[in-house]
Amino acid sequence: MEEILTITNLTKNYGNKEILKGIDLHAARGEIIGYIGPNGAGKSTTVKLILGLEGDYGGEIKLFGKSIGQDKIDYKRRIGYVPEIADVYDNLTGYEYLTFIGQLYGLELEEAADKSKSLMELFGVGEAYHSRISSYSKGMRQKLLIIASLIHNPDLLFLDEPINGLDANSVMIFKEILTQLAANGKTIFYSSHIMDVVEKISSRIILLYDGKIAADGTFAQLKADNTEGTLERIFNQLTGFHEHQEIGEKFVSVVRGGQL
Amino acid sequence: MTDFKMLRLLDKFRWLFIKMGIDYDMMRKILHIKLTMDERKVPTLFNQNKKKDNQKYGYIKSLWIYMLFGLILIPLMGFGQNFLFQMSIAFAMIIFLIMTSLISDFSSVLLDVRDKSILSTKPISAKTINAAKFMHIFIYLSYLTLALTAIPLIVSLFTQGIVFFILTGLEILLMNLFIVAITAILYIAILRFFDGEKLKDMINYVQIALSLMLMIGYQVLIRSFEFVNLDMVVSFHWWNLFLIPMWFAAPYELILHGDTSLLTVIYTILAVIVPIISIWIYIKLIPTFERNLQKLLSTSKSKKEKNNRLKSFLLTIVCRTHEERAFYRFAALMMKQEREFKLKVYPSLGFSFIIPFIFMFTFSRGEEVDYASSMSYLNIYFSMMIIPSAVLMLGHSAKYKAAWIYKTLPLKDYTDLQKGSLKAFLIKLYTPLFLVLSIVFSYIYGIRIIPDLLAVLVTSWLYTILCFVMMTNKLPFTKPYDEVNDAQGWKILLLLLPLGVLVGLHYLIAQITYGSTIYFIVLFFINILIWKLVFKSKK
Repeated sequence: MEEILTITNLTKNYGNKEILKGIDLHAARGEIIGYIGPNGAGKSTTVKLILGLEGDYGGEIKLFGKSIGQDKIDYKRRIGYVPEIADVYDNLTGYEYLTFIGQLYGLELEEAADKSKSLMELFGVGEAYHSRISSYSKGMRQKLLIIASLIHNPDLLFLDEPINGLDANSVMIFKEILTQLAANGKTIFYSSHIMDVVEKISSRIILLYDGKIAADGTFAQLKADNTEGTLERIFNQLTGFHEHQEIGEKFVSVVRGGQL
Repeated sequence: MTDFKMLRLLDKFRWLFIKMGIDYDMMRKILHIKLTMDERKVPTLFNQNKKKDNQKYGYIKSLWIYMLFGLILIPLMGFGQNFLFQMSIAFAMIIFLIMTSLISDFSSVLLDVRDKSILSTKPISAKTINAAKFMHIFIYLSYLTLALTAIPLIVSLFTQGIVFFILTGLEILLMNLFIVAITAILYIAILRFFDGEKLKDMINYVQIALSLMLMIGYQVLIRSFEFVNLDMVVSFHWWNLFLIPMWFAAPYELILHGDTSLLTVIYTILAVIVPIISIWIYIKLIPTFERNLQKLLSTSKSKKEKNNRLKSFLLTIVCRTHEERAFYRFAALMMKQEREFKLKVYPSLGFSFIIPFIFMFTFSRGEEVDYASSMSYLNIYFSMMIIPSAVLMLGHSAKYKAAWIYKTLPLKDYTDLQKGSLKAFLIKLYTPLFLVLSIVFSYIYGIRIIPDLLAVLVTSWLYTILCFVMMTNKLPFTKPYDEVNDAQGWKILLLLLPLGVLVGLHYLIAQITYGSTIYFIVLFFINILIWKLVFKSKK
């Protein structure tokens, strides 16, 4: 299988704080990779490094067979990105924003307009196409971000909590979109804290813990390596977290007026 | 989306950008989208009385005020041959006005962090993105500069000749580069040492200070025309080296008067070299700037809450119920921390500190005042001019949507909220101001005026509640700022009338022996009664 992304011994420091402690990662065409880990494990840092939002790293990042250090710009044409906390120029309308983004990726205005209109309609938000984004609901905004990340037909997608705010029906549509994209040879990195979803859609799961990769394999493999039955349990086990019951009990006791 | 004339003009310089290695088409697209967005927002100077449907071209329309300011430049630039003096003043004014506008309206452009995540993930070079950012600011500065200087420039073309005209045009261009670069370098320096919240606070304080200076400057300007003598002879001193506007005035002496003295030459060189150097430093620092810009996103360090026993005890006296105290603290924090509230209220707070003195000196001009017996300390009443607008602003907030929380709270009514926030305003904002004023006034007029000052203080409480009763929106922090409209503006003006009545009353009563003391005591109890009455009727 064609290798899309190769990361070798990636390290990154903020001051004297080590965020990434040597990551090795390979992703092939058509894979949906569940990229999980506790808060602060370095997930978004990895993605930011790949996208060139941050620099000064150790090791090597190769995309589509080329190191991103060599060609700093053109590789971005083949990447789509949905950040977790997304800034949007929200005083633009959906049409204006999407065509703008499309043009930045090198699409013609008409092409970008047609595409974004159809995609908005298919996603059930066609009526908001010409309204200001600031008036969108959370779900509509999220759909806009998803469309903005796909409008240029990228080969590699980074999605960070993409279903945040979507209703159940839209989530089903979105999952189907992911399956279809993967079937068409796109590679998807899917970051989320909702383990059930990650478990179901991922063809491979990578767990990042404390700046290192703690697990890498299909869900079946992870289950075989660990004694637990769900991804959530495996997550707890690999990150060494067992106190949830105890903390939960204490929490409620404080809520009811007790002492720690 | 319509195309912009400005961009079509820019198209003519396409070759220049391409030569510099900038992807012109991409830059044009970014600029186009930025200009479209700008059409939809209204500059700070004007967002108080704009109607919603009238926001298009808000910026261009707002430029007439700068044209008006520009008229002041006509006597300085259009007439007279005392260039060093005239042009120093003229450039000082231009620099000040442009810098104010740059900081208050374009800080958001310089510091837009959305650019990073939206644009940098796209296949565009950093150079092109930065060029777009710079051009974006540059386009607006051109509009602004043109509005400000076009009329005086045309006048000067006829009165001072073509050389003067061209020289001024060139210098204004240099000066603009200098202003952009120096502002950016300032931000870079602040970002280098502080975090984002600090920078936002600092920009906020700069904005407040500049608004205040504008208010005071206006007062001073009107009066200064009586003193300024345009024939005044100014000569160079070495310490003038730090007066930047003077650099820009020197070339006139050099070229038009043929003054080739050492300092004239040095200043002329400075006027040319320093802008170029500063823009060069700015370009060199852009990468550092972009990196530090990320700080704007980072969370600031948390402060530890201090608990002062005395304070909480005093608070229990001022606010009787538990809820009222909670709302008092909340309102005090909002007033202290909400930048937009500060931007709208703090300048007038500073102004109301100055205005009693302005009136004092205006009324007493030319006469010898006997401070031991004068009644002019009643000018302290003018410090209350802030109260109507502050009470009005109290109803508004940038985060007005968060007011849903009031509705989910188990409250009988909102009187505690209203009382708490009014008291917070009086105690946190007005009283400190009044105290400082009182100390200064007691020093000038002697301690004999203390009973009068006490009476003024309780009058301010009474006046606050009066203003509150007159306001339509009585729930604090529940409306957006752009809903402050003309009708309310008129109401504020009308509310200044009772102030005059109160001054008159005090003046009459103060003629009686112990009048002020009795007045104070009576007012004190009327106050308690009225506050009770206003907030009781709703229960």
